[in-house]
Amino acid sequence: MDLGTVIETRALSKRFGGVVAADNVNFKVRSGELRCMIGPNGAGKSTLFAMLCGIERADSGQIFIFGQDVTRMQAFRRVRLGVGLTFQTNRAFHELSVRENLTIPQASAKLENKEAGQARFEFALDAFELDPNDETKAAELTHNQLQWLEIAMILVGYPSLILLDEPAAGMASDETLRTAKVLKYLNSTGLTTVVVEHDMAFVKNVAQTVTVLHQGQIFAEGSVAEITAHEDVRKIYLGWA
Amino acid sequence: MDVLPLVLSLLYQFVTGAAFFFLAALGLVIILGMMNIINLAHGELMMIGAYTATITYHAGVPFWLAAILGFFVAAAFGAVLELLIVRRFYGRELGALVVTWGVSLVLGQGALLFFGPFLPSIGIPGGSFSYGDFSFSDYWLILVFISLLLILGLWWLYNRTSYGLQAKATMQNAEMAKSLGVRTSHIYTLTFSLGAGLAGLSGALLAPTVTIAPFMGQQFVAPAFITVVVGGATNVIVGAVASSALLAAVKTPIGMAFGAFSGTVALLLAALIIIRIMPNGISASLQKYFTRRTGRAMR
Amino acid sequence: MSTIVGLIGGGADIGRTRVFWVGFGVVVLLFLLYPTQTSAFRVSNVSFYLLNIPLGLGMALLWGYCGVLSFGHVAYFGIAGYTYGVIAGNLSGNPFGPLAGVAGGLLASALVAGIFGYFVFYARVQKWIIPILTLVLTLLLETFLGQTAGYQWRIGSVLLGGYNGMTGIPWFQLGGFVFEGYSFYYLCLFLVLACYFGLRMLLNSNFGQVVVAIREDELRTELLGYDIRARQWAVFVLSAMLAGLSGLLYVQWGNYITPSQVGLLQAALPVIWAAVGGTTSLLAVVISAFTLNWVTYTLSSQGNQYAMVIIGALLVGTMLFFPRGIVVMVAERLGRLVTRRPTPSRP
Repeated sequence: MDLGTVIETRALSKRFGGVVAADNVNFKVRSGELRCMIGPNGAGKSTLFAMLCGIERADSGQIFIFGQDVTRMQAFRRVRLGVGLTFQTNRAFHELSVRENLTIPQASAKLENKEAGQARFEFALDAFELDPNDETKAAELTHNQLQWLEIAMILVGYPSLILLDEPAAGMASDETLRTAKVLKYLNSTGLTTVVVEHDMAFVKNVAQTVTVLHQGQIFAEGSVAEITAHEDVRKIYLGWA
Repeated sequence: MDVLPLVLSLLYQFVTGAAFFFLAALGLVIILGMMNIINLAHGELMMIGAYTATITYHAGVPFWLAAILGFFVAAAFGAVLELLIVRRFYGRELGALVVTWGVSLVLGQGALLFFGPFLPSIGIPGGSFSYGDFSFSDYWLILVFISLLLILGLWWLYNRTSYGLQAKATMQNAEMAKSLGVRTSHIYTLTFSLGAGLAGLSGALLAPTVTIAPFMGQQFVAPAFITVVVGGATNVIVGAVASSALLAAVKTPIGMAFGAFSGTVALLLAALIIIRIMPNGISASLQKYFTRRTGRAMR
Repeated sequence: MSTIVGLIGGGADIGRTRVFWVGFGVVVLLFLLYPTQTSAFRVSNVSFYLLNIPLGLGMALLWGYCGVLSFGHVAYFGIAGYTYGVIAGNLSGNPFGPLAGVAGGLLASALVAGIFGYFVFYARVQKWIIPILTLVLTLLLETFLGQTAGYQWRIGSVLLGGYNGMTGIPWFQLGGFVFEGYSFYYLCLFLVLACYFGLRMLLNSNFGQVVVAIREDELRTELLGYDIRARQWAVFVLSAMLAGLSGLLYVQWGNYITPSQVGLLQAALPVIWAAVGGTTSLLAVVISAFTLNWVTYTLSSQGNQYAMVIIGALLVGTMLFFPRGIVVMVAERLGRLVTRRPTPSRP
């Protein structure tokens, strides 16, 4: 495997009882990419995401991150390789202050990325208008601010790869645009980014390459233009066929 | 050396041991399965059942009736507890643990103050018989039989009655059950009451085998908790039965070889090892095994 | 120096203003002067209330800050006490005996907690299992110690003593100086303050912040790169050592220890101190532990039978009406003086 590959899964499979959540998935992300993962509900996006994070164990197959076999690796060790993750439902520390939310991640920072990482973090703080000394309890922030807080939190660790699960969920179009801009900028500095998203407006704004999942398999992969023109993709989303 | 009596004795020890664990854990298991609450007043509810049985027995009531009275008195206590205290802790498991522990202190100490340090004991009904070098108690065999009846009774209750259906629905998804017309608060009270009553019944049934004192429940607490921890909450009846059997299988040989206390220590060690391998208890692992094989839920 | 001040003053516990610290200083001064005003008997009683505080602090650390509830924490109290008795008793001529006993006691608590903690945390069990299994452990310990009567139950020359317990436990001494009476009182006071400030600093440090984060959201903390099991295990062992410290002080206070110290009734007490005080504040638990020990000790030495019923009812009442703890909720009412955060500024 070449050094440019950040994520690679080989024949990754997982079932839950009778449901096939992942079926022989070969997913590959190269360094510096901004990849969006889309697919109808039940397509297996969350399962694939969870397996990449280490929250779920695959039944079979392998996962490589930064060239290392992480298939059996515990979640926290994967993060220490330089990965940042956000969740579908916001998991900032709601009972703690903004300042605490932004200082807790620090001990696991990847120090070789310090300069670039620090720059990215400060950019995000600025773009999202977050004050690292703010003592306001996170629960008192608006939904949008909470989402942005969680993104800023994972940047504290100076990751080289970030995986975001529906970062624009629940946002109106202005905030969605802002989120998209920030992610695009961060990616342009070299931060490999994988985003799971439903919002096609967001995807169109942000993605270079789109992976479409359907029934646990990679259904199609290509640029935004290719995917939106793809007849079968429209079918699975709109339920024809 | 005559092997058959030894084998029978081992079998007897195993089966009565399993019955002991099952009876000790029964009430606890019902409440845990339904509400995800460990009722730390469990030992005291057993004591209440035992005290009711003892007092009524010594007043002339036949033992079997006294035991059934024990069920009802403990069930009544359970209902009151649930209505006044426990229902405020649904969703707060640790809080429920702590508050029921406070209740257990009050009940235990209260019994001490009210009834004094001892009550006259109940003689073990029935006799015993020997085979080879070993003696077997009639009463314990009856308890084994009663345990089996209880298992069947509970299976019938949960799978063949309207209460059982409503209870299972509430366990799975209380909000949904409510919107379908199930009175979930009634179900909770009934279930807690049932668990308390069963604890009282167990206490009454086990009363002839122990000294009747305010803290008599304590000796059942450790085995009951271990049984529940090993069994898990996924399917309480299956978990309790499997766990009782497994724990008896551990305790019997070790207890015979090294004495009763070593047997109990072995139980704790076994429990620690089992939860390391099966963190959600035996019932969860059995459930996983069955769904993998058949794609269906376990009955 | 400023980091130390920062660590002490941080938000992990209530009380950060100047007024608070002045009040705190006054209270400490009162404690320092107390022995000059009363009899040796009363000083001994207050020593008893003080020596239980580290156990309470251990509970607050584990339960309030880390989110792990241990019902059987008194087991470590007993293990340390008995171990000290065995080691110091066997080395009774030796001037280093008591020191070895202390080291041995703390080590024994840490070891048992370490092994137990490994099984419990690395198995990722459901939260309610930990209180149950810790309780079972302490009950088993009580049963075991209770049946150690008789001459065959001894380690070296020290008898375990069965239900009557171990007696004649040697005093702790440094050099030739024996800590008893007034000097023991000051030792307890010093250790309580050291533990309190040490923990306060620990909880204000990054280590402590991550502990709180684990309590708030384990998954999120793990996915920030932290080994949460290792950290929970470490906090568990530390809190066991605090319980052990109380046990060590206890055997100094009475020169004896019995199996009932690890039994069911004793096990309830630290849980009650922590719940009544408010597990999220070290200071609140210091106050409640001291006060409740004073209450129970006074009640039982008056022959009052109702002590445990009252305590049990207090626990139930606190859980129902003061879920965050009586001291903490009173402090919250006192408002601005003791809030943990200044009024939030709106963006």
